[in-house]
Amino acid sequence: MRVLLTGATTPLGRALVDTLASSEDCSLVLAVGHEPRLDRSWRSNVVYRCVDLTRGREVHDLVCGDAFEHGIDTVIHMAQHRAAHDRGRRVHAQNVTATRELVLRCTDHPTIRRFIHRSFAEVYALERATSDLLDEEAALDFDPAAPQWLRDRIEADMTVCAHFGGPLQIAVLRCAELVAADSGSQLWDYLSSRVCLRPLGFDPMLNVLSLDDAVAAIASAARSTHTGVFNIPGADTLPLSRAIAETVRLDIQVPGPLLAPLYGLRRRIVGFEFRYDLNLRRFHFGGVIDGSRARRLLGYVPSHPVQWPRAWWRSLLERLADLRSESGA
Amino acid sequence: MDASTFARLARQAPFHDAGHGYDVFGLHPPALAAAVSAGAPLYDWYFRVDSQGIEHIPAAGAAILVANHGGVLPMDAAMMCLDVLRRMDPPRIPRAVADHFVPRLPFVSTLFARLGVVSGTRTNVRALLEHGELVAIWPEGVAGPAKSFKDRYRIKEWRVGFAELAIRYNVPVVPVAIVGAEESWPLAMKMRGLRLFGSPYLPVPATPIPLPAHYHIRYGEPLHLDGLAHCKVDDPDVIANAATRVQVALERLLDDTLRARRGIFR
Repeated sequence: MRVLLTGATTPLGRALVDTLASSEDCSLVLAVGHEPRLDRSWRSNVVYRCVDLTRGREVHDLVCGDAFEHGIDTVIHMAQHRAAHDRGRRVHAQNVTATRELVLRCTDHPTIRRFIHRSFAEVYALERATSDLLDEEAALDFDPAAPQWLRDRIEADMTVCAHFGGPLQIAVLRCAELVAADSGSQLWDYLSSRVCLRPLGFDPMLNVLSLDDAVAAIASAARSTHTGVFNIPGADTLPLSRAIAETVRLDIQVPGPLLAPLYGLRRRIVGFEFRYDLNLRRFHFGGVIDGSRARRLLGYVPSHPVQWPRAWWRSLLERLADLRSESGA
Repeated sequence: MDASTFARLARQAPFHDAGHGYDVFGLHPPALAAAVSAGAPLYDWYFRVDSQGIEHIPAAGAAILVANHGGVLPMDAAMMCLDVLRRMDPPRIPRAVADHFVPRLPFVSTLFARLGVVSGTRTNVRALLEHGELVAIWPEGVAGPAKSFKDRYRIKEWRVGFAELAIRYNVPVVPVAIVGAEESWPLAMKMRGLRLFGSPYLPVPATPIPLPAHYHIRYGEPLHLDGLAHCKVDDPDVIANAATRVQVALERLLDDTLRARRGIFR
């Protein structure tokens, strides 16, 4: 397997590059990011390229030049603009135009056989009539009033899905929210605050994904020959109140209409990324994705719990307690 | 809380833990056990639930309980689920299927989820049946509680989705007659202009609290619908015939139970 991977400089990208490069069935990883230079050492079978995916010419040169020269057979596309509050044409270009250009160039490519698109479970519509369990047939959220962050991800997902049935083997992975630092996770941002506000009277079920499971799922998809849409759930399915308890934060229930202005104020004062309008339905109706298809066809079973955000002093105390118990044993 | 009840429900009842003591729909056995204990006075002393035929419910594997529905609020569903929880041995947790507007109700949605109630969508019910769970469905839907008092125990609307699922997944259907609920808390009027949280109407009960009617719950012989025509599971006529077969069995059970009871409160 010779893999081209976009979004290689994100925490997920770096972990995936390391995993693929160290596996026996992967002889080369062409890692693509937008940083011109990286202060880290890659394995010998990793080649890094700085590419602006919003420029069609650079995408063309990457796919028809570097990818062809290196005999790339698998493309994993993970590059997305992470900041939830950013919007505009440049953000749309990064999220959607780049995806469209990339999948177009990969179609009919002489060496590329497989295209993996990392999508998001947030594309599903969460309404009162929605199932608690969302399979791949669940409705998508085409609300035109949705934030650009969400509309772009749905458009990118649909753009890739439009190429099903062609010569390229395409797998779209709709992943549960990856709860990890610097991953653009809304929940990570929400749970990093000392106080977590949630809607009065609602305690929905959430499913979240760890970095290790995300890497395992994408690697499985890259190795597989199955095509189509796959839900990628995480190992943690729990109520919102329990997620707050896991991070040892103060849990306060507030009437729903107050949450958007309160979190808007928080962003203006402190500058956090969490957007309540992006999470409003999830914080009321939940929505857990059903990963049976991925389990059946990709062999993916989530098994790594999330590393919940903790205050540094609490992590230190827990570590000291672990060391004490180990020395006692 | 009764310790033995907690032990039975929290430890012995089959339950697909999604990792933190909850299943994917939010069921939490300790919360359920607490509800069973809290509901015991209603079951034992207020409604004096009299139940027969519990042995007709399969001890394991997927099955669908299909019952009549009535009364202002789903006390009939609560008593039936309590009956199954308390009397089945080994214990089984019935997964009651609720209408689509229930998830919008603050507090109620969370409470129901912790007790195992799920929204009535195909994906939810399919997942439960594939996990071998016991699903409880009220095919009359909201039309059941919306009936006038003079139409009590007459089935007005009868949805057929349960029949398609029973055929497709080859699961037995157990008809359940619940007598007592429709007299216990009759509906005085429906305020259709007030649609709170997406509900079709605001019910106004005839009495401020349910009357202590004597509840009778009868479980009928399980019906196996797969023999009808598994290869034609998408044929609307096949599905309608299967659903009608269950409706007829339930109506017979209701008639027998109504004839056998000595009075509403006795």
